[in-house]
Amino acid sequence: MADLAPDIAPARMNGSDESSVVPVLEMRGISKRFGATQALSDVSLQLSRGEVHALLGENGAGKSTLIKIMTGIESPDTGEILLDGQEIHLASSQDAQRYGIAAMYQEPMIFPDLSVAENIFIGHRNRGKFVDRRRMESEARDVLSRLGVEIEVDEPARGLTLAEQQTVEIAKAISLDTRVLIMDEPTASLSAHEVRRLFQIIENLRSEGVAVLFISHRMDEVFEISDKVTILRDGQWISTRPRTELTPRMAIRDMVGRQVVEIFHRERKPPGDVRLAVEGLSKTGAFEDISFEIRAGEVLGFAGLVGARRTDVGLALFGIAPADRGTVTLDGQPANVSSPRQALERGIAYSTEDRRQLGLIMGQSISNNIVLPSLQRFLDKFGLVKRDEERTVAETYRMLLKIRAASVDVPTGALSGGNQQKVVISKWLETRPKVLILDEPTRGIDVGAKVEVHQLIDELAGQGMAILLISSDLPEVLAMSDRILIMREGHQMAILDHTEATQEKVLSLAMGQASELDDVDARAALRAVDGLIDAGSSAGD
Amino acid sequence: MGRIDARRYLRRWESLLVLFLLVVLAYNITQVSNFLTAQNQANLFQLSIEKAIVALIMTFVIISGEIDLSVASMMALSAAVVARLNESRMEHVLAIVVALAVGLGLGALNGFFVANVGINSLAVTLAGYIGYRGLAQVFIEDNSVGGFPGWFTRLGQKGIIGPITFSIILFFIMAAVAGVILHYSGFGRRVYTVGSNARVAIFSGVPVARTRIIIFATSGLVSAIAGILYAARLGAVRSSTAQGFELDIITIVLLGGVSIFGGVGSMVGVLLSIFLVLNLRNGMTIAGITGNTQTGVIGLLLILSVLIPNLVSRAQGRFRRTPVEPQFQAPRPETVQSAG
Repeated sequence: MADLAPDIAPARMNGSDESSVVPVLEMRGISKRFGATQALSDVSLQLSRGEVHALLGENGAGKSTLIKIMTGIESPDTGEILLDGQEIHLASSQDAQRYGIAAMYQEPMIFPDLSVAENIFIGHRNRGKFVDRRRMESEARDVLSRLGVEIEVDEPARGLTLAEQQTVEIAKAISLDTRVLIMDEPTASLSAHEVRRLFQIIENLRSEGVAVLFISHRMDEVFEISDKVTILRDGQWISTRPRTELTPRMAIRDMVGRQVVEIFHRERKPPGDVRLAVEGLSKTGAFEDISFEIRAGEVLGFAGLVGARRTDVGLALFGIAPADRGTVTLDGQPANVSSPRQALERGIAYSTEDRRQLGLIMGQSISNNIVLPSLQRFLDKFGLVKRDEERTVAETYRMLLKIRAASVDVPTGALSGGNQQKVVISKWLETRPKVLILDEPTRGIDVGAKVEVHQLIDELAGQGMAILLISSDLPEVLAMSDRILIMREGHQMAILDHTEATQEKVLSLAMGQASELDDVDARAALRAVDGLIDAGSSAGD
Repeated sequence: MGRIDARRYLRRWESLLVLFLLVVLAYNITQVSNFLTAQNQANLFQLSIEKAIVALIMTFVIISGEIDLSVASMMALSAAVVARLNESRMEHVLAIVVALAVGLGLGALNGFFVANVGINSLAVTLAGYIGYRGLAQVFIEDNSVGGFPGWFTRLGQKGIIGPITFSIILFFIMAAVAGVILHYSGFGRRVYTVGSNARVAIFSGVPVARTRIIIFATSGLVSAIAGILYAARLGAVRSSTAQGFELDIITIVLLGGVSIFGGVGSMVGVLLSIFLVLNLRNGMTIAGITGNTQTGVIGLLLILSVLIPNLVSRAQGRFRRTPVEPQFQAPRPETVQSAG
């Protein structure tokens, strides 16, 4: 690797005259559609050398899809990718790597039993048949020292902290002559101190001329580290501005700035008695001190960004991953459950967002799936399944929820996402729950099915069910909820009444950007929030 | 997509088995004049009846996504227990009860390690495969132990209804019960569910651990029954009794269209497979094909049974695009972990 640095340095120097004009990587008019969802439409993005470029957007804004296209995992429907002004085609992530484009994610991809040096050089090819261990280790040390870090290179990677593993991944990218490094939520699991060190590494990368695409939900970090900020919303490019011309308030406005179209008008009725009461619910490493009540007929929205740990709260209430501390009561009775079975007995049902892995048995019929959690009720005295009854019930749901399938014998794997979601909801409704937790009930389903799911939520609330709606779709949460609980990194930020909740308010809270800071200059806001973060993270530790 | 078309595929595979069976039967009939007589068929059946009995429970084990390699060793152990207790003049019926209890208990122990401790069933039952036969050796050493009461050996050897023995009658009763449980009962539904996707089962409040323990305990019990019947038929027991049976049994089940990945299979398919294998071996013996070649032919059939569904789904995949779902973000690791 000693020979590598002089190798690339001149190459970069030669290009430097042009590179002020020609970006290293340019995405031009990229569009991508998945089934019914237009994930990206006509998005353009330019990355220059030595630039840290932040990409901002809500969940589902299209950031992940854009990254996948940049790294060759997905190919765009239309649009072109240019490297140094030349159009390139990325058919695989190996292609992207060859062109010097690499990505690292929140969870580093490390081989725990290989040494640090081996991990750094794992992607190298054509380096001879035999491993010169000493040379590899000394080159690994060189790469790491260029990043300004010291890690024992001959130790197995197993013992590294998450932050060190990330560093190894960055070193791997550098050793592969990476010119564009995409960092997807790299700080999400780091402590404040580790974040500082990561930023120092990013500074070093910047001075080496690497273009960094930085994705984070933490507004303060974006404002600290980036030179430029691009904002996506609903798969569309909204703005690209130098950081100095942007304030957090502007950024949030751009992120949510869609016209407020009433997606579903819900008549809110005065709710009944308290159904579910949660007090001081905590789980180490996941969430801290969550307290709320849901009344009969009420929809409580759970808003937050990826990593807010909303799903963990849902899973705790359902007994999959029980909480360590705190109390749960249902209709005044204790309801701290430790298994889904107990949860179902008490009348708590949880509809998962992961239909494929956790929601449905894809090879089995609609009717089998619908009766699965309540199978006991469909057995006669010999333990045999009462098939007529099963069919009748399944048929009822098919009519009621408009599940589009030839019959209830169709395997659920053959259904569209929206219809699968309806089967998932049917299966939980058949358990006749008092509290229904809906985790991302409309993710990945088409608009028509979405409206039907919204109608259903409204009807169920109208019948006195208490509904906990976890959703990353802000307009959905705002339209459907009576009240909204906002989480950020395992902490409960606020509970807003639907009358006072706006997209801006919810997103500000979800991103840890207190709303009173809106009008202050970005730098001052940054300092203020930094203080909050440090306080927050030490409390979380 | 193979999973999704599983039921249609199974039906197709079952028809293929029927076809094979008819061809084999036709050949056998032309070669042997009295082939289709009850006597001959009963004899044929009697020769492998213990394997056929264990294949019934193995169907449950494999559909639930697990494997039990310890069945043949369990047969040897239960036979050895009966022989040893008989030698020490214990009341024979009581000796049988003890052997059955040992089967049930050790099977439940297998189930406990798989379901509650979370060790892979291949590893757990491999330990049983070695350990149970070792125990059998402890009980009867390298001797051939016989001297059973007359009623016991008659039970294993003499026909009750014409040439049809107790074992054969028991097999058909057990097959009927197993078929009803697997296809019509709530328990059978759970077996498929656990084998298709244990995570979905857990999320749906299905008692996954209990289901697995029941399956393994029953597997131990049924293996013990088969072992005792085997002892009755042979009239003497060695510690090497039933050696290698587990592979024949698993072969029969897989050949019957049961997926080694769990969640797919039918009792009818397994029954057809039992008849096919018996008649195929018989036909090959008639044709003068030796034992090793016979095993090779059955192995070939097994490979076909695994290969055909793969080829079919690959061919389908080429013509039909699978529906793509948008995924905006990687699955959250915390969700996956807590589910596991």
